[in-house]
Amino acid sequence: MNTFSKSFKDWPTILQINFILSILFVILAILLLGTVLYMRKRKNSKDDRKGTLKILLIDFINNFLFDEEFNKPKGLTKFKNDHLKTTFDFKIAVSQILIFNENLKGESSLLIKELFFGLGLYTFLIKDLKSKAWHKKARALFVFNKLGLEIPEEQVVAQLNSKREEARHQAILYLINSSENDPLSFLDKIDRPLTLWQQIGMESAMNAYTGEIPNFSNWLNHKQQSVVIFCIKMIVDQNQFENILSVQELVNHPNARVRRQAIVSLRKMEITEVLPVLIKNFPHEGLKIKKEILKSIAKLGSEEDLKAVVPHIRTKDRVLKIEYLKIARYFNPKLPKVKKTILNTYASGNKKIKYS
Amino acid sequence: MKKKILVIEDNPMVIKSLEFKLNKEGYDVYLTADGREAMEKLKTETFDLVLTDLMLPFVSGSQLIEFIKSKHPQVPIIVLSTATQEDIITDAFTMGVDDFITKPFSPNELALRVKRSLGKIANNN
Repeated sequence: MNTFSKSFKDWPTILQINFILSILFVILAILLLGTVLYMRKRKNSKDDRKGTLKILLIDFINNFLFDEEFNKPKGLTKFKNDHLKTTFDFKIAVSQILIFNENLKGESSLLIKELFFGLGLYTFLIKDLKSKAWHKKARALFVFNKLGLEIPEEQVVAQLNSKREEARHQAILYLINSSENDPLSFLDKIDRPLTLWQQIGMESAMNAYTGEIPNFSNWLNHKQQSVVIFCIKMIVDQNQFENILSVQELVNHPNARVRRQAIVSLRKMEITEVLPVLIKNFPHEGLKIKKEILKSIAKLGSEEDLKAVVPHIRTKDRVLKIEYLKIARYFNPKLPKVKKTILNTYASGNKKIKYS
Repeated sequence: MKKKILVIEDNPMVIKSLEFKLNKEGYDVYLTADGREAMEKLKTETFDLVLTDLMLPFVSGSQLIEFIKSKHPQVPIIVLSTATQEDIITDAFTMGVDDFITKPFSPNELALRVKRSLGKIANNN
């Protein structure tokens, strides 16, 4: 060893560096391999544990639900003490209970809830709801929502403006599904925009809602544009024709997305009275809204309405020109198919097309 | 003599629950997880009732029902399915199914319907 260290000192510097780095990389490689092997072993043992616990849970739950002679209080305590020791065990128990809840109804639903409380899963999830980890809060809210369990509302409301979209989404769904008479009252408390996925979830929850559907015009002045857009969509979905005038006013809203949604919704509801306003607004709107106005003219208007907007379609607006031509042909199928005539007319500077 | 029920279901939780509940009700329960296995069993054994899902691997529920009706026309069939569309339910009854239960289901209600279907066959015989 002394000979080695002596000769090592005599090595050229580059060789010394190479040697040290080689040792370092060998150590790193061994550490990496060790970590991979350890994680693989851990995963395998977790999978084994999951498989075993699932079988035990299914047997226990079936006995609890269907065996009238089964001693429920004793059975719950024994199972909890024997098999639910780690957080992982509790998670598996929760997922199994959810599967049972998804497939069974009637008197079994009540027993499943009794089981849920008896195994300490409610306490476990309330703890998760109070933790700092967003994924734990989201999961807890998801489970409480699926099982229809009551939890302190302040815990849920606190998540409405969470930084994480997943936690906000679950809080919204919980509040809608647990509400008896005002499922969207939470909208007054939200400060963050609704994502498209949240809107889809809310729409689905509202369609399944058995109570009285709220008047969506209550939130048409909300500070969040996404809330306004959602409410406009729901007014159409729920055929709230009494709110047509409120939606009509929104074609002059300062926000372009809101204006666009209002135009789309009014078209779906076939409100022809809005057409003069749309034609008047056409010159000042952006490309997307102009396209929607053209579609509205196609559905609700006439050839005269279409001609009224022609002067405001610029030569470079290719998308609009195509849309216009489609609608012109729809109104007048005899329009010549040869595009040159029409395109040349545009190229020469927005002259009005003469129909034969 | 205990009545023999063949259960065809690929959801492990549902199949275990059905087995448990029907055993408790006093029936002999035979389990299969897919239509292919069920058809093999039906070729060699007879059952008093078949309880099947419509969405099965390898063989569709409708093919299975047709097979049962051709081999064992007297055996009552109860369908247990997540499908709620009217046309699917109507098609099932047109094929000769005796009862249709949608999931999520009430185990007590299921047991009563099994009892009723078996009772009908006994009366007809």
